[in-house]
Amino acid sequence: MSTLIVIDQAPYGFWTGREALDMAFSLAAFDQPAAMLFTGAGVNWLRKGQRPDGVGQKSAEKNLSAAPLFGIEALIADEHACQQYGLTESTMLPGVELVSNIRDVLGDHKHVVFAG
Amino acid sequence: MPNSLTFTLVITGAPWTSQAPQTALTFATAALSAGHSIDRVFLYGDGVHLASSLSTPPSDEAHWPQQWSVFLKKHDIPATACIASALRRGLIDKTEQARYELPAENLLAPFEIAGLGEWVEGSQAADRTIYFHGN
Amino acid sequence: MTSNSTLHILNKAPEHPRYQACINALAPSDTLVLIENGVLSAAGNQLHAPCTLYALKADIDARALEAACENLNTIDYDELVQLTATHPKIISW
Repeated sequence: MSTLIVIDQAPYGFWTGREALDMAFSLAAFDQPAAMLFTGAGVNWLRKGQRPDGVGQKSAEKNLSAAPLFGIEALIADEHACQQYGLTESTMLPGVELVSNIRDVLGDHKHVVFAG
Repeated sequence: MPNSLTFTLVITGAPWTSQAPQTALTFATAALSAGHSIDRVFLYGDGVHLASSLSTPPSDEAHWPQQWSVFLKKHDIPATACIASALRRGLIDKTEQARYELPAENLLAPFEIAGLGEWVEGSQAADRTIYFHGN
Repeated sequence: MTSNSTLHILNKAPEHPRYQACINALAPSDTLVLIENGVLSAAGNQLHAPCTLYALKADIDARALEAACENLNTIDYDELVQLTATHPKIISW
């Protein structure tokens, strides 16, 4: 039974997502199973081709692409939110599992955690 | 009915930005009087501002850092501010002051600074982990 | 008695995106507790939760919502602690 870390805020304009990612990486570092769910504006984390030089931040896309290496078990995205923000398979990071029913995903995990 | 459970409390909402520190403190007090125990309090994100020894609200207003400090000492509850969240936001203990050669330290006792490992450990060990977020 | 249902603790006002996300995630067997700004949803009949529902009295009183919350089950902090003790799975929204 793993922990689901939920990101529902957009990258760059909010810091919470980065702190959520740190939580997921920490779980993995301590060999605790962790998965991440992107929903609402949080799905914008998943867009390919982010170039944040002009806003003085590290690339959320690059940070997130390290997730499988760190041992994050799954990156899951809310299909409806992806549609809302115009994200398609071709504009999205590879390896993201799309789900239509968030309730099922929440039910699959022992702990469900927002970073803030 | 489970009689006595252990709780880890995680506070991510800052004082004077959100209600989280007050809600968490009232909850913690009620949990102890119901016979439960609180294993650990973990401050994360903006929640680390609760551990500032420099917060100085007007004297006729509630002082959340002080109230928490008194509560933690009285019940001997370990409390940790996440080091990454704390350093970014200017919450510094003596060790970090020395390490980064900073002009001051401002961590309110008995809060300590440590990594997310404390949260991982706390939430795995406790019967319940309750999060208190901002808005 | 330990429940298999999820306890949802919601502190967001209705216009917050996470408010609706929480409402959408509720299963009929779940329990929802409104705290802090979450109790504002009781004002003006905006609240449609498909499960057992409670609201925290201190937050209702603070916001002068006693009349609006007339038909809600209000609880104090002792009862909130009790709900967290009987629900192994808790989501704070």
